Amino acid sequence: MKFDWYYEPTSVNECVEILKEYGSEAKLLAGGTDLVVRLRSRAQKVKALVSLNAMPELSRIQKTEDGLHIGAMTKLMDITKSEMFTGSWMVVKKSAGNVSSMQVRNVATIGGNTCNASPSADTVPGMIASDAIVRIAGTEGERALPLEQFFTGPGKTALKKDEMVVGFKLPDLGPGNGAAYKKYAIRGDSDIAIVGVAARLKLSQDGIIEDARVVLGAVAPTPIRVPSAEQMLIGQVLTDELAAKAAQAASDFCTPITDARATKEYRKEMVRVWTQYVLKEAHSNAQ
Amino acid sequence: MTDVQENGYIGKSVQRVDAYDKATGKARFIEDYQSQFKDLLHVKILRSPHPHAKIVNIDSSIAEKLPGVATVVKGTDPDLPWEYIPYANNYYGNPAKDEVIWAGQAVVAVAASSIEIAEQALELIKVEYEVLPYVIDQEAAVGPDAIPVVDPKLGLSAGYQGPHPDGPNVLGSYKLKKGDLDAAFAEADVIVEQKYSNDKKSTAAVECNGVIVEYKSDGITVYTNCCGIHGVVKEKLVNMFPNLSGSQLRVVQPFQGGSFGNRLFPLIEPLAVVIALRTKRNVSHILTRKEMFTSSPSNWPCVTTLKLGAKKDGTIIAEEFKITENTGASINNYYDGRLSGSGLVCVYDVPNVFGDGYAVSTNTVPCAPYRGLGCPESEWAMENLLDVLAEKLGMSPVELRLKNFIKRGHENAYGEKLTSTSVAACLTAVADAIKLDEPCEQEPGPWRKGKGIAVGGKQNTPLGRAEADVLVHSDGSIELLVSVDEQGMGAQTTLMQMVATEFEIPYESVKVTRADTAVTPFDNFAASSRTTYTTGNAVRIACQDAIRQLKEAAGRKLGVAAMQVTIKQGKAFILGSNVEEIAVADLFEPFSFFTDQNWGLQKGTPVRGRGVFCPAPAVPWFGPGHEDGRTPRMWNWYQFSACAVEIAVNVETGQIKLLKIASAADTGNPINPKLVEGQIEGGVIMALGFSVMDGHVYQDGVMANPGYNDYRVPTVLETPLQSNIIPIISPDALPDGPYGAKGMAESITIPVGPAIASAVYQAAGVRPTVMPMTAERILELINAKEAKND
Amino acid sequence: MINPSAGAINIDFHVNGKSYSMQVEPFKTILEVLRDDLGLTGAKKGCDDGNCGACTVIMDGKAVKACSLLIGQARGKKITTIEGLEDENGLHPLQKAFIDRFAIQCGFCTPGMIMTAKAILDANPNATEEDIREGMHGNICRCTGYVKIVEAVEAARDQMNR
Repeated sequence: MKFDWYYEPTSVNECVEILKEYGSEAKLLAGGTDLVVRLRSRAQKVKALVSLNAMPELSRIQKTEDGLHIGAMTKLMDITKSEMFTGSWMVVKKSAGNVSSMQVRNVATIGGNTCNASPSADTVPGMIASDAIVRIAGTEGERALPLEQFFTGPGKTALKKDEMVVGFKLPDLGPGNGAAYKKYAIRGDSDIAIVGVAARLKLSQDGIIEDARVVLGAVAPTPIRVPSAEQMLIGQVLTDELAAKAAQAASDFCTPITDARATKEYRKEMVRVWTQYVLKEAHSNAQ
Repeated sequence: MTDVQENGYIGKSVQRVDAYDKATGKARFIEDYQSQFKDLLHVKILRSPHPHAKIVNIDSSIAEKLPGVATVVKGTDPDLPWEYIPYANNYYGNPAKDEVIWAGQAVVAVAASSIEIAEQALELIKVEYEVLPYVIDQEAAVGPDAIPVVDPKLGLSAGYQGPHPDGPNVLGSYKLKKGDLDAAFAEADVIVEQKYSNDKKSTAAVECNGVIVEYKSDGITVYTNCCGIHGVVKEKLVNMFPNLSGSQLRVVQPFQGGSFGNRLFPLIEPLAVVIALRTKRNVSHILTRKEMFTSSPSNWPCVTTLKLGAKKDGTIIAEEFKITENTGASINNYYDGRLSGSGLVCVYDVPNVFGDGYAVSTNTVPCAPYRGLGCPESEWAMENLLDVLAEKLGMSPVELRLKNFIKRGHENAYGEKLTSTSVAACLTAVADAIKLDEPCEQEPGPWRKGKGIAVGGKQNTPLGRAEADVLVHSDGSIELLVSVDEQGMGAQTTLMQMVATEFEIPYESVKVTRADTAVTPFDNFAASSRTTYTTGNAVRIACQDAIRQLKEAAGRKLGVAAMQVTIKQGKAFILGSNVEEIAVADLFEPFSFFTDQNWGLQKGTPVRGRGVFCPAPAVPWFGPGHEDGRTPRMWNWYQFSACAVEIAVNVETGQIKLLKIASAADTGNPINPKLVEGQIEGGVIMALGFSVMDGHVYQDGVMANPGYNDYRVPTVLETPLQSNIIPIISPDALPDGPYGAKGMAESITIPVGPAIASAVYQAAGVRPTVMPMTAERILELINAKEAKND
Repeated sequence: MINPSAGAINIDFHVNGKSYSMQVEPFKTILEVLRDDLGLTGAKKGCDDGNCGACTVIMDGKAVKACSLLIGQARGKKITTIEGLEDENGLHPLQKAFIDRFAIQCGFCTPGMIMTAKAILDANPNATEEDIREGMHGNICRCTGYVKIVEAVEAARDQMNR
């Protein structure tokens, strides 16, 4: 897994210039817990490895009046310990804790977990449910993209060749929001999710669902929202029956595959089972 | 009286001799030896992506020219010793010739000056295959019309009995007949019958298999974590390479990071020797984790159809079984259904038995003994069916088993007498430990709790000879030379305790030197839980031999007959008198180069005691007079275990959580109780894995989960809390074991699965028949039951 | 400042209290450098893909899997390996507990287990059984069933809190 060039840029500008030069022959090293493993097994070859580990300004979590800003290089472990993920943002903090084990979370980053673009990434469904925005930098400047538009296929993102993710913004969604994420796997966090379900509900004073997000991981080429489930929830009060209907809609909507971890039939069934629990948990978190 | 004088060290939990080295990182495993070799070549292997294919062409010309590549090995190379290794029998680490018969088999090997260069070279090799039909389902592999695992024209597939009339993939068969089965079933009040099966599984020890061959002009030294430096590695290599004499081959074994049966054959050593002899350089080959799954041995799964007939008082009077062992692509071996079938006749006293055993090959990774030697697979059937039978009879599962155990001194269906068993005590102990009869406290929600119990028994195969040398140094300290494998069970420590007990000296005065064929004498290997018994007996004999020599020397010195002398606590005592004594150290005469010499005990020259022990050989179960497959001695002694569990089943996801487990091991006389506990705890958690969550998954004939990410061995979170794991030692001395000890490290794995299955039935009303009881399988059973109820 | 390099990079870091300044190929992992270049073979290669935890070392106070980190990620960092635990005062309480409690069988997972446990207890001296289990599920053992390992970590915790 030899690579020819190794860079440690100290600023975003330097970094994007390097990316422009090498295009698809360069790879960014964040924590490395996915990339290094792939390089060593020769599943991926790279000409230039660009380490982001000399750019500490990308590791900050900051609250501003429009939301919570999380630098792309923020370690998952730091997110799980941060006090800043209040209200429905708690789902991002908790789901960061679902990734693998302590040693991995000490090194892995939210940017890496996102840009690796595995459909089963644990931090992503909760962020999509929180209407997260991705902040992207390139040689032409910065742009922002809703996270749900960021993934274009398994392992593929909307990043152009000279672009990198510099951070995420969780917008302030106002009062009445509650969110939850369930990673379902046989060996809990140690495994890659068989299915991942996130939901956010915004409740009015009288408990009517004003807004809803239902997001699934590991059951489609990318993490996906379930518009049919969301639509049937909005304007209603959450009952067991409604939760079951929404869960069935989510199950019908997803397109899982059969692989070493589970069959597609089982995944569909687990979406149906867990969406109900996640909706109820999001509902209770919104109180 | 000191502690040593009281009981010796038998039954004492003495600290392990290797614990300090392992706790500080000083202990060296095979890969840790690499840095001491200059000019080391590293081996990487290109493996077949197809489960069955003809090798049409290999073009390695570009790879061979890559700077740093020393040599490329193909199956057709003349220095691969095919005439001395029956093709693709257990020595299947070598590149294939003609045909590949499982996905993961070696096709081309590259040796280069670094792993990076070797991996680059692999990418430059082009192999052309002609894909052939394959069979991975063992039931489809039986029968004369089955897809042949290997091309019949090659004439290669044959078990030890030769080509088999029942089909091209059948390697052997064994039938056992006792009594009159038809009459017995006619007489039975209740009959139950069911088919059971299991998946392939890998021991998945954390250390990968590895070898380093050191080349010198006068011979080679093979460093390896393979088991059996003498009986397995040296013996086989010397047979394979006629140009390599016994004196030119030395084998050394570092600490092994586990084995559990996976390392019982020289998998990668022959290839490394070929490369070393060819290049005259030092060679290292460590398998990757993926290769450990795809290309190192798995277990042999079994399909078992079992039928039991019982009287209404619970006496089982008839047993009929058909068992087929799936040996994978191990197409030339000794399997015939007997090993797994032994589990079906060694626990319960059934007067009328018919057993029909087979071994069949498939295009999957070849097998080797996985802890339990096929008995977890076969007794999965027996223990589950007994649970069904108990329910039908209206008896408790404990009562039914207690009524039918083979008692000590009685015969099993083979005709062997059982010399040691405490299985009944084990069963009642675990039932009490989890309060089996108390119903579980259920909680609201999808998790339903249940309790279950089961038993297991396993033979010890009389696997040949063990030797030991005991050196009494001239300062009285003792050094034990043994070739025993140390895969983690603590054999070194146990044997050291025996030596210290024989000599009645503090154990700190005993050192164990291990596993170097130039230094330590012959031992077969660590398998079938034989080490404590076989090597332990050899150690005792060696001690007694050394003591005899010391007695003679003391007698000569003191003017008495040797039989009047006792050696203990580092001194020679006269029997019946504690007055005249001499320190053992003083038995050794000092010398000076110019004047004093002597032929007796001399300072600097240790007394060497030698011990050789062989278990009594088996009596043939075939041939004239044995048409019924019976014999008074098929195996050696037996080890038993009972297990009781409390579990929770999630009726919405099918997951099983182990809440509490009690495991009792029938241990003979345990030499080191803490080490025994460690075996119990490790064994049941390993069994939890293969009973509930870990197993090979195949897609298109290829293993789809060859890694720790998707091959789900239990982590600590899958285990119960500390206070809910209860190991119980239940001793019953083995008459011919050293101090009555016998091995126990396998039987504990057998009842875990069936106990969990019994608990699943109590919790969710479904009876699994396939192991592992994955969440998907359990949910399918639950949903099918609900659909039936609607 | 761009610092491109082909071939070798310069890395300064600390291991077990000693400073190192090395020229090393950037595609090597921290595990390879520790084992092959520094001779610290205590950290083991069990899977080389971040799953088994046998390669766990402590880097700037945090347990990490050295097989999944490139050497460049060690720049300026302080690494502790199993070899760094025993000092002139003797064995670390964890090492002693692992020995005394029979938490070691084959020993291959042991260095990783001890380093992970040390990281847990250093950060949380009152770690409960649940905390210990949560912290250690990234370390696989096939021999012990984890029972005596958890027992040893709890014993070490109690010893260290005296």
